[in-house]
Amino acid sequence: MIEDLELDSWREQWSGFAEPSADLQRQVRERIDRHHWRFALDNVLAAAGFFGILIFAMFLRNQLSWLGTGWATGVCVVAFVSAGCRIWVLRRAWRPHTHSTRAFLELWHKRVTAQLLLLRISVYVSLGWIVFCVALAANNWTTIGQDVRSHSKEWVALLIICMLVLPGICYWVAWLQRRKTAERNEVKKILDEIDGNNFIDSSE
Amino acid sequence: MSESRRALEQQFERILVEHGGAISRLAYRYEAERSVREELVQDIALALWQALPHFRGECSERTFIFRIAHNRGLSHAGKRRLPHEPLDELKDAHHPADPHPHPEARAAQTDQRKRLLSAIQLLPVMQRQMIVLVLEGLSHSEIAEVVGIKENNVAVRLNRAREALKDLMGARP
Repeated sequence: MIEDLELDSWREQWSGFAEPSADLQRQVRERIDRHHWRFALDNVLAAAGFFGILIFAMFLRNQLSWLGTGWATGVCVVAFVSAGCRIWVLRRAWRPHTHSTRAFLELWHKRVTAQLLLLRISVYVSLGWIVFCVALAANNWTTIGQDVRSHSKEWVALLIICMLVLPGICYWVAWLQRRKTAERNEVKKILDEIDGNNFIDSSE
Repeated sequence: MSESRRALEQQFERILVEHGGAISRLAYRYEAERSVREELVQDIALALWQALPHFRGECSERTFIFRIAHNRGLSHAGKRRLPHEPLDELKDAHHPADPHPHPEARAAQTDQRKRLLSAIQLLPVMQRQMIVLVLEGLSHSEIAEVVGIKENNVAVRLNRAREALKDLMGARP
């Protein structure tokens, strides 16, 4: 009986402290509209990027013939791999919020683990891409070498830009990996709590 | 606008009116900063809007809403790292008509409310969820459905959460 009175008292205090914003409906309506616009814009930009890369590959093949063979194919492969990754990510964007908390957390854990795996694969693909570029350049050096000699300043500038961008990308990848690992640990901690592994300890 | 779409919008508006208060209170649990919390309330409403067409009545509407709201709050907290600081702005939070006109009684009531909310804020994530659900008046079976545990585990876990809450509020000797 005392317990019930206590709970009733808490409920009274709890229910009285927050009221929704007066124009919540308008704010939500605006938020939904913004969400729809953003979703459409994301897809338009992704499609534009995909077709832009394909057009660039065609341009490489037709206009920059001195680069030699293989470059257009390489660019097309990168475009299709990127498009595949995007579709894969969208496929995983289910509506998990309707599940129970446990199911939601399990799904979240799987998703973060998959994202970490994808990140690792991306690093290997990037390294593979660099090796591919070097091999292709070596294979086509007779034609590329002439252009390098005639436009040496531009090539040096390009090389310097690449060297400057590379540490930035490495730093970003390391930061993303740390963030995702921390997120996975946080989810695992809550899952352990829901399973009762930490439930007693955490309350003491 | 199609008939089904209009019905959906009416259902959504009704949910916001009926459960807007509960969603706001739940957002308090996951976010201490006011501006971010308003965003979170809108995020929860957006998640509700997206999920509503898929609601087939497998559970009660209230369970459905609390599932979505809690899961959205959890994903927000997981990315923001859960804030454990007390809610400083409770003093200017909206309060309904006060049945105690005396300043002392009002001050005592405000103090009690602050202690309760600060203590809830300090509980581990799942205990907080259990306490919030029971404070919102959900039954044990509804809580089991929201959290995804067996109904006979709810009472045990709820007792532990209540004990922890009382400890944090300093209500125990």
